[in-house]
Amino acid sequence: MARLELKGLAKSFKNGAVLDGVSLAADAGEIVVIFGPSGTGKTLLLRLIAGIYDADQGAVFVDGEDMTDVAPDHRGIGMAFQNFALFPHMSAFDNIASPLAARHLAPAAIRDGVERVARLLKIDQVLAHAPRELSNGQKQRTALARALAGAPKLLLLDDPLRNVDAKLRFEMRLELPPLLRQSGSTVLYVTQDYKEAMALADRIAVLIGGRFVQVAPPDEIYRLPETVQVARLFGDPTINLIEVTPHSAGNGVAVTIGNTTVPIGEQYRAAAGSAALLGIRPEAIRIGAVDAGAIAADVVAVTPLNERLVTLLKTADGHELLASQPAGERAAEADSKVGLQFMRDDILLFDRASGQRLKAANGAGAS
Amino acid sequence: MSAADVLSLDAVDKVYRPRRREPVHAVKGLSMEVRPGETVALLGSSGCGKTSTLRMIAGFEAVTNGAIAIKGRPIHQLPPAKRNVAMAFEGYSLYPPLTVRDNIAFALKSARLPKAEEGRRVQDVAALLEITDILDRYPSSISGGQQQRASLGRALVREADLYLLDEPMGQLEPQLRAILRGRLKHYLRERRMTSVLVTHDQTEANALADRIAVMEGGVLQQIATPRELKERPANLFVGTFIGEPPMNVLETRPEQANGRIRFAIAGGQAFDYAESEVAPPLRAALAARAAVTLGIRPHAIHLGQPRLRARVLSNQWLGDQTHVAAEIAGRLIVAVAHQRVAARVGEEIPFDVAASDLHLFDSQSGAVIAHGGRPT
Repeated sequence: MARLELKGLAKSFKNGAVLDGVSLAADAGEIVVIFGPSGTGKTLLLRLIAGIYDADQGAVFVDGEDMTDVAPDHRGIGMAFQNFALFPHMSAFDNIASPLAARHLAPAAIRDGVERVARLLKIDQVLAHAPRELSNGQKQRTALARALAGAPKLLLLDDPLRNVDAKLRFEMRLELPPLLRQSGSTVLYVTQDYKEAMALADRIAVLIGGRFVQVAPPDEIYRLPETVQVARLFGDPTINLIEVTPHSAGNGVAVTIGNTTVPIGEQYRAAAGSAALLGIRPEAIRIGAVDAGAIAADVVAVTPLNERLVTLLKTADGHELLASQPAGERAAEADSKVGLQFMRDDILLFDRASGQRLKAANGAGAS
Repeated sequence: MSAADVLSLDAVDKVYRPRRREPVHAVKGLSMEVRPGETVALLGSSGCGKTSTLRMIAGFEAVTNGAIAIKGRPIHQLPPAKRNVAMAFEGYSLYPPLTVRDNIAFALKSARLPKAEEGRRVQDVAALLEITDILDRYPSSISGGQQQRASLGRALVREADLYLLDEPMGQLEPQLRAILRGRLKHYLRERRMTSVLVTHDQTEANALADRIAVMEGGVLQQIATPRELKERPANLFVGTFIGEPPMNVLETRPEQANGRIRFAIAGGQAFDYAESEVAPPLRAALAARAAVTLGIRPHAIHLGQPRLRARVLSNQWLGDQTHVAAEIAGRLIVAVAHQRVAARVGEEIPFDVAASDLHLFDSQSGAVIAHGGRPT
């Protein structure tokens, strides 16, 4: 278990900067998920931390110690990758044992260490097998076991569930958190799957354009995304975005959607008159009867999504909105007319030009 | 088979005979009907026979045995062009020398529409599929996902008896996917178009289809509405294949005594119900059985209500739903809730499942015994 600090890490290649000043402080034992679209430098960041590449600028500190001049194999790091990267000529046992053998532990200690972690990952039955004899799921567990076996201070996991099928990915997502906690390692976990990120992370660091745009606990990222881009990366279906110009209405501030005035609360007074984007998540839209305060809409189609029902709606002024509700609830009739309510506390406002979320004054909506 | 069906398959077999290798029986005795205006999805994992079926309907593969009819007319010996079927599939690609616009318009030529009407239909379908900005591009200069949508557009504008769509939304980014699914479903319904779509993605099948045909090993397992598949799966395969997160499965030993019916699991616990909670014929069906496989949907597990206990392994809030994993008798069970759940990792929590939410399967064959405490 170790405290990890990244201070201003930058790295560029001939075709341009990939990482552009990345800083982060992870507590000992914390699980930080590095999340972002593909090609944003997530893997590169792990390689800089591991010492596989040198940073152009900035430094990595483990428990306060600068790692710049420490060789990769002395940094106390365990790694697992999406392509498993097992040694093909070695059995699963020897693969898992490799970090222990490198430390010249006694054979009995190695056997104990391998068997303990293999039991946790449910691969104790296949330890004698060569990698080519293992299923993808077993390979991935073997790679994780190897990363965990050395009880590393830092565990770097590069999208380890990417290449396993959906069912196994789901099961591993449920089983991983206790395993990672038990390891005691400080974990950096890279993924492109927002559900995996939310499920595993103590905090999520959203990497876009070579920088961390937001570093926060999953719930905060989901409810209070810093930018439109972050908002769109979390949630299925994606957040609804509507171009609005907030205006004063009575004592508060409101927006007009269709012919309906939707109050968004006084805390957004500063946004009145500005070009904004209103963000509302599908599960924060209630479908009800046509009524004076509700936004009139036509039901275009109802499309079930796993345990939920997703309804595509069209407002009088042509906005397409998605609403999501538990599958057990009554579905709206296709082609019927309905009234929509936006849950007031869940309304987000973004600046249309910069994409930055507009913070409500006096803390409301930002707590 | 009824004359009113748009498509009917009657005991269709497909056997591939590769040289110097064992024959492959890809589709086995498949019979099904598609009714006017209906969208049916063929769903299964790779190798289940769904794509072979689609290709036989389209005419790209010969039928080994059986018959296929469209609107009552046998078509399985006709060339593809004589079947009056519109297709969007991989390998049935866009014409490279034509722009996306001309590719789509070409499909309208035989309808001999006025120029303005032709242009309007192309615009409409392009707007629907978000490909308006690439209408003047050539197929080689657009992405795979855009080609797929252009090909879908070309199929949708045609007048045809039947529309065959292969993974129509396959490569779509999540931001667009939900909206395009809704629009496509509306488009098909509004025009009363009859379609068969093939997919390995159950979320796509559930979103778009009126009925889903679940295939496995070349055999049709069940054809039913998405809701029926969830509530009344025909066997354990369908039960565990359909649903995300998947159905929980537990091996149990049924016991009947003192006015109670118990499904005992390893470790001494049991799903324990008063006889009155369970329909009488089911009691009879259980009497002769030493073992029964219980299937329980994740949303049917009510955490915090007493009946059984499990140890919480993880509690994951995903923004609009919670997935709680817990261990009982060495097995992982998963519960889904639509709000946050106060369950701490490592603690033992009570949970309940209503007798009406139990699915019972034969432990050997996987055949269904009963749904919801009522025999089938």
